[in-house]
Amino acid sequence: MRYESARLSGFSAPAVRTARGRLDMNYLLLVLLLLVIGVVLVLSSSYARAYYDPGGVTGGNSAYYFVRQLLFASLGVALMLLTARIPMEIFLRYALPFLIFVLILLAMVPLIGVKANGSRRWLGVGGLTVQPSELAKLAVILSFSALIVRFRGRMRSFRFGILPFLLVLGAIVGLLVLEPHFSASIIILAVGASMLFLGGVPMGWFVAAFGTAGAALAVMLTFFPYASSRINTWRDPFSSSTDEGYQIVQSLYTIGSGGLSGLGLGGSRQKFLYLPEEHNDFIFSILCEELGFIGSALVLLLFALLILRGYWIALHCRDRFSFLVCAGITTLLAIQVFFNVAVVTNLIPCTGISLPFFSYGGTALLIQLGEMGIVLSASRDILEER
Amino acid sequence: MNQKSSPPGPDRQMLRRAIFLALIFGVLCFALLLARLYVLQIVEHERYESLAIRQQLREVPTSTARGTIYDRNGSVLALSASVDNVYLSPAEIALYDEDTDLIAAELGRILDLDPNEIKKKAAQAGSWYVTVARKIEREKADEIRVFKDCFDLRGVRLEADTKRYYPYSALACHVIGFVGTDNYGLEGIEARYNDALNGTAGRTVRATNAFGSDLLYACFEDFEPGESGLDLVTTLDSTIQFFVEKHLKQAVADYDIQNGAGAIVMDVNTGAILAMASLDGYDLNHFLDVSSEAKAVIEKADSEEEAARLLTEAQSRQWRNKALSDTYEPGSTFKIITLSMALEEGVVGLQDSFFCGGSVNVIGRTTPIRCWKSGGHGSQSLTQAVQHSCNAAFVAIGQRVGAETFYRYCEAFGFLNKTGNPDENLSAVTGIDLAGESGSIWWSENTFCSPRNQSQLAAASFGQTFTITPLQLITAVSACVNGGRLMQPYIVSALRDPDGKIEYERKPTFVRQVISEETSATVRSILEQVVGDPLDGTGRNAAVAGYRIGGKTGTSEKVSLEARTGEKEYIVSFIGYAPADEPQIALLVFLDTPSNESGIYISGGQMAAPVVGAMLADILPYIGVEAQRSPGAGEHKDVLMPALEGLTYEKAKQKLKEAGLRCRRIGEEDLVTAQLPTPGIVLAADTEVIVYLGTEPSNNWETIPDLSGMSYEEARDTLSYYGLYIRTNSPVLADGSQRIGSQSAAPGSLRPHGDVVQVTLISGDDSLLGKY
Repeated sequence: MRYESARLSGFSAPAVRTARGRLDMNYLLLVLLLLVIGVVLVLSSSYARAYYDPGGVTGGNSAYYFVRQLLFASLGVALMLLTARIPMEIFLRYALPFLIFVLILLAMVPLIGVKANGSRRWLGVGGLTVQPSELAKLAVILSFSALIVRFRGRMRSFRFGILPFLLVLGAIVGLLVLEPHFSASIIILAVGASMLFLGGVPMGWFVAAFGTAGAALAVMLTFFPYASSRINTWRDPFSSSTDEGYQIVQSLYTIGSGGLSGLGLGGSRQKFLYLPEEHNDFIFSILCEELGFIGSALVLLLFALLILRGYWIALHCRDRFSFLVCAGITTLLAIQVFFNVAVVTNLIPCTGISLPFFSYGGTALLIQLGEMGIVLSASRDILEER
Repeated sequence: MNQKSSPPGPDRQMLRRAIFLALIFGVLCFALLLARLYVLQIVEHERYESLAIRQQLREVPTSTARGTIYDRNGSVLALSASVDNVYLSPAEIALYDEDTDLIAAELGRILDLDPNEIKKKAAQAGSWYVTVARKIEREKADEIRVFKDCFDLRGVRLEADTKRYYPYSALACHVIGFVGTDNYGLEGIEARYNDALNGTAGRTVRATNAFGSDLLYACFEDFEPGESGLDLVTTLDSTIQFFVEKHLKQAVADYDIQNGAGAIVMDVNTGAILAMASLDGYDLNHFLDVSSEAKAVIEKADSEEEAARLLTEAQSRQWRNKALSDTYEPGSTFKIITLSMALEEGVVGLQDSFFCGGSVNVIGRTTPIRCWKSGGHGSQSLTQAVQHSCNAAFVAIGQRVGAETFYRYCEAFGFLNKTGNPDENLSAVTGIDLAGESGSIWWSENTFCSPRNQSQLAAASFGQTFTITPLQLITAVSACVNGGRLMQPYIVSALRDPDGKIEYERKPTFVRQVISEETSATVRSILEQVVGDPLDGTGRNAAVAGYRIGGKTGTSEKVSLEARTGEKEYIVSFIGYAPADEPQIALLVFLDTPSNESGIYISGGQMAAPVVGAMLADILPYIGVEAQRSPGAGEHKDVLMPALEGLTYEKAKQKLKEAGLRCRRIGEEDLVTAQLPTPGIVLAADTEVIVYLGTEPSNNWETIPDLSGMSYEEARDTLSYYGLYIRTNSPVLADGSQRIGSQSAAPGSLRPHGDVVQVTLISGDDSLLGKY
């Protein structure tokens, strides 16, 4: 009755929880596989950009981005395995303090944040930069899960089911808009909505929310020319292929060039300074160009498997908090993958969203792998089927 | 089961909703993405790939060296050399943070350009190609390469190009032509044979980065080799061309020619062009530069547009090949054609006589046609009629030929092409392989052959009322004297590949037999009398001692100009051929609008004939025609100065006497230490030369006196007074009636002590002054 005892001891008696189950190897292997492919693609895609920037940060070292990404990937794997050892109740306990911590960080960003490309999104921590928005995504998942667990049975009411969550989201999104960081806001709103959806908020609220969002969008498109020009660029990027549409047109060239089997790993031509952000937000385009439809479909399949496995773990969690956290992290991952690939393929209007495990960026990668660690931690509490 | 201490698992609604999310995010979203990728990568693959490749590839033409142009002796007339274009890649200058001040200063110094301009170019950060200098020479390019390597500059670039060089500068400029900056032939042979000379440019197609630089490793490179250009061998002879241009320039200066001049030397038997000149010329290496006179006019222009217009005008004027592109009324030189057809038709014979009363009435004309000699030539034989260039006689000869026959012969000689429409004004070209040939302009057949108005035929008989190009005239006259064979003129004899293999060889093109061999012989014998007869020959000033030369003068009135403005302007010309019995070359000189101020009577015989004579005197020995010393009309009086140094005075004196020279001694020693002039120089017989015994000749520069109007002997003595010597190629008549027509050194110019001045002698006899 090991399972039963572990389950009975629950979160209230951690001392008794001496033994937990094994990590979900399927999930772990999928993460590692995607990570390896991602790091290799960082090398391939950033090679030219790093080489042609002798006066910049890379000093002309073509392996600059790769080496750093490899380093963070290694650290990230360590962090993931470490996180996987942390019992889920610890996350539950610190969920709200973590949220407050993140809110403080977010509040600091507009004041002392590092500015780049017209936005202040980063905090400098001893040579490293962190996007608190990345942490905010996790904080929303953890805190919403904790609150849903606490408000169980009362989630259908406005006072418990809507108001507290709306306040948290309002605070976070309000701070993000100050940076400004719209794409992170959208992701956080989407993740938050998913959490509430899982938490049992009545469907009527979602209908109302979508209706409001649609109306707001319509108003924005009517009154803000910036927004409507984005839409025009999205609908016909080739009409402005040298300015607004440049990035997306280059991305389409890149993806289309790949064909069925691609130009071969390392064979991208578009990475030679044609495609901007080729090792960040548009790394998937390079993947498409080098590995073709076969490669891109395979990578998407791996992501799909990882996500389905994430939901599978969630569905098998024995406690509500773990269920909500796993489902939330998996949904976050899915949303990021979908938005990124949808953007680079011009399925939705252009905005900057990185691709988990692929896009260059050390601290974001650390946080993502940490999130995977949480899912793995939850997976250890699952009773292995016989 | 302790429900209180155990946290609840997800309820059924949660599980349902989680499964719903899994279906949305784990299946539906990915299906959407896969569908989208399928469309982009499979369905629209080719479209995007071609668009991407279009931006990734740069096509660089690999220039094949343009072929070399040779004259018939292998002298290089035009050749291409490798040069470099210098350009900046400002994008890379910015990228690698290169020092624009340094680049601007160094390039400015090496290329002699304003550094500020270069700096401005280097600052155009969006661009990857800004030209700094084109076609710079090897040394400068090397200097830039060193500078570039020294500072490891990637934003400073060189690209290979070729530049055309013309070793003879202005020589035969109108024939050779030039190329534009893109190595495309614009004039002359360069234009006509552009494709053969250029070959087909190869091209390198290369994948490049967004800046246009090479990729780090060659992803894609394709090289299509071009076909290298062919070398051209022309029929030009640069030496003959030089002789022709030298004397033509002299004539333009001597006679103050207002509107340029031209000359053509043709191989009478093949139609090959040995020389073709048109003045004013220009330096092919700087074909955009105009003469200083034109520059002075342009500088005085009121506005910039006016200056630009004047410059363009001056340029197109200097580029115009008058021998090929200008048409004129040939005047009396055309009488050769009338004579040939009349003899061929048998309507005149050597025994016929013609009466000239000074003018002749023609049906259709209100005023009679006047002969140049107002009193008339009286009764004259056919030969005399040609010698006198008698218009009245030629009107009669034309009438005997008849308009239809005359017209037919004009077509046979290549002056016009019938079209089948008798009311159409006709035209023709020779079809020479040069760019820019103009066509002749003739009356329509109905007008010309009208029995009610015979004035066209009458005027055409002595070469007026129609216009032809000088090239057409010399081509037809060559046929008259070469045995009747009309040859198509040509300038390129062979095309060779760079290995020397002949790709194409031009054979002389026989067009048609126009007159018979016998008729041609008769024409030759008559025309020789025009030059050879020192009393009656209007062309006597073209005579060269020791050579048999035939020819005909021409003084054509610009009738249409006179009708328009009332101004009388003339083109004086002379067409000659030699040797007269067995012609090898024909030579046409025309001088457009001599000024009335030159002091020489305006006529082909007085002006153009001596020029032709001077040219032939240079050309005939050069092409290996030996002078024959024959007692005759003129005695050649020039001798060769022997070498005297080291001889005793007695021996030297003896040697000079044998040569036909007198001598004066300066110095008292026994042996000759120096002499004036130097050995090997040709000078007039009976000149007093100086032998130095122990002393050295003076190093003074002498001012050349004006010799015009003097007799040969007077001129000789005048020059020797200054320590200068004289010589001539003209036959010197014993009676001393000839006068100096022109001199090789202009009056007032400075020449070293002991120099030889060459003069042409023209007839001093006034009986033949006239517009013939």
